[in-house]
Amino acid sequence: MLLLIAPAAAVLVLFQVVPIVIGANASFRDWQLYNPKETWIGFQHYASILSDPVFLWVVLPNTFLLMFATVAISLVLGMALAHLLNWSFPGHRLVQTVILLPQMIAPVIAATSMRWTFNDQFGVVAAFLRQVGFGQMSWLAERWPSFLIVIFTDAWIWTPWFALILLAALKSLPREPFEAAQIDAAGRWRTFTHVTLPMLRPVIGVCVLIRSIDAFRTFDQVWVITGGGPARSTEVFSIYAYVETFLNLDFGRGSAAAIIGALIILVVAWLMYRTIDRLTNISR
Amino acid sequence: MAEVALRNVSKKYDEVEAVRNVNLEIPDKEFLVLVGPSGCGKSTTLRMIAGLEEVSGGDIFIGTEKVNDVPPKDRDIAMVFQNYALYPHMTVFENMSFGLRLRRVPKPEIRERVEHAAKILDITDLLQRRPKQLSGGQRQRVAMGRAIVRNPKVFLFDEPLSNLDAKLRVQMRTEIKRVHQKVKTTTVYVTHDQVEAMTLADRVVVMNGGRVDQVGTPNDLYHKPRTRFVAGFIGSPTMNFIPCGLQQSGAGLNLQISDKLSFPVPENRAPKYKALVGKELVLGLRPEHITEPRSEQRGSACEFTVPLDVVEPMGMETMVFFTVKGIEVCGRVEPSSAKGPGEPMRLYANLDHMHLIDPASDLVL
Repeated sequence: MLLLIAPAAAVLVLFQVVPIVIGANASFRDWQLYNPKETWIGFQHYASILSDPVFLWVVLPNTFLLMFATVAISLVLGMALAHLLNWSFPGHRLVQTVILLPQMIAPVIAATSMRWTFNDQFGVVAAFLRQVGFGQMSWLAERWPSFLIVIFTDAWIWTPWFALILLAALKSLPREPFEAAQIDAAGRWRTFTHVTLPMLRPVIGVCVLIRSIDAFRTFDQVWVITGGGPARSTEVFSIYAYVETFLNLDFGRGSAAAIIGALIILVVAWLMYRTIDRLTNISR
Repeated sequence: MAEVALRNVSKKYDEVEAVRNVNLEIPDKEFLVLVGPSGCGKSTTLRMIAGLEEVSGGDIFIGTEKVNDVPPKDRDIAMVFQNYALYPHMTVFENMSFGLRLRRVPKPEIRERVEHAAKILDITDLLQRRPKQLSGGQRQRVAMGRAIVRNPKVFLFDEPLSNLDAKLRVQMRTEIKRVHQKVKTTTVYVTHDQVEAMTLADRVVVMNGGRVDQVGTPNDLYHKPRTRFVAGFIGSPTMNFIPCGLQQSGAGLNLQISDKLSFPVPENRAPKYKALVGKELVLGLRPEHITEPRSEQRGSACEFTVPLDVVEPMGMETMVFFTVKGIEVCGRVEPSSAKGPGEPMRLYANLDHMHLIDPASDLVL
């Protein structure tokens, strides 16, 4: 019996466990590509990163802000779209296809197009703002505007994913509790808050969990749109680890950053999982 | 509490007419059961009364108000669904009080009404549980409780016992009857189970193909069915239908079933059937009217002998099945007098309870 899972186990060990072990090993060593001494230095990298003000006061807040903002925005917009698509109206299929388009585009392409959209000289947004009488605005030269663009892009890419899953969940809900609510005198909003939302809780919980973990390690959008700048002000955890590893070529410190990030998201995900499990149990 | 009236009510889904010109007058406090096979339009009719389906034609009245365009929440009705339709995230108390909370009933009154309903249904201990912690029967009681607390003008039940096992169904049937006797609210109850219909109803409406075939008390439907469909649908085992001819025989009439088998029509029925002589008809006879000959029936012209195909002992009675003109016929005999399969048995057809059916119109004549 064990032999049957041997191929899958071998692949898992080879491509998941071994790299993690190699990374973990590197995080405890003084290991730079240009000076690969590989001396064992214990938790020095960890201590250094956890006392790095950029990591603590810029990277981590940015990472969590991006995670909460994109997940919240995508969830709310996805829910609204799912409700819209749950109605039948003329042009329903066309709207459904158009709404799903952002999900079909590679994140790098979406981010690149968004970067051009907000380009302060040639971008559509800049041109529009000029037309309506606003002065030139350098979106990508300041922290919050550029970070807003990153959040907007990520939410734009992921809203269809929420919409699609929530739509499937909406369609699978039994009809009778809604009819009972109609007879019980619940209006649309009350039905949504007291019946639909609680019954969707398990699905929403799983979506939020998966998406939060994914949003925590967002890389492409941030890298393409801001590259972590200006002046590292939009840097998130994945950019921090990438820069340390592949630009500064410090494998030891980069690995330590990656492992710290993994541990943080592990704790966050575990807390979320416990909450979701409790909510799911209630809603079942 | 109120009377309900349906006047020429019909429902169309595109080209399909699910309900056709239904006319019903349901007096206050009556327990009316809509019964019929799947797809006969009974649930659609109920859902139109509830306001969950729009009416394509005709009018529905609750009390004196025409409710065609009144939303379900303003019709003052309560409905119990087949699969309970409880809110899974709410406790039993919250489920039962949800409608009252939405109607802004004061909290002490809500508590009082929920506790009263819970007492009637014997679910006081379950008020803090969630639906998933309850059995099917308990869930159905909660669903009924949710309806009772509202104190509505009309109760609507949509096949409420279909999801329960046979034993629990019988228990809950009694429970529903008991509750109706206590709360005395006009009730419209949909089921496909004719036993449920017969046991619960003050009056039964038999529906077939979107139309009402017959409305009457359970006894009326059983003893005086108007159509072959009603005759066959009401009663278990179902009525036997045997093709026959009607012939003049001296001063009386004779039912010719086959070359070897004929029965004299009872004298009190002969004048009614006289005009049908020479016609091809169908004899309808319930299994309990085909029995072993009892002492006073011995030697009667309605006695006959047939080899039995199947014998089904039920304990207090035995079902015997035999074939006449290629049609399976069922009789109900005393267990002690039943013969074994393949053996010939002497039987008696009690034609005092016979029905003659016109095969062209399927009407009972």
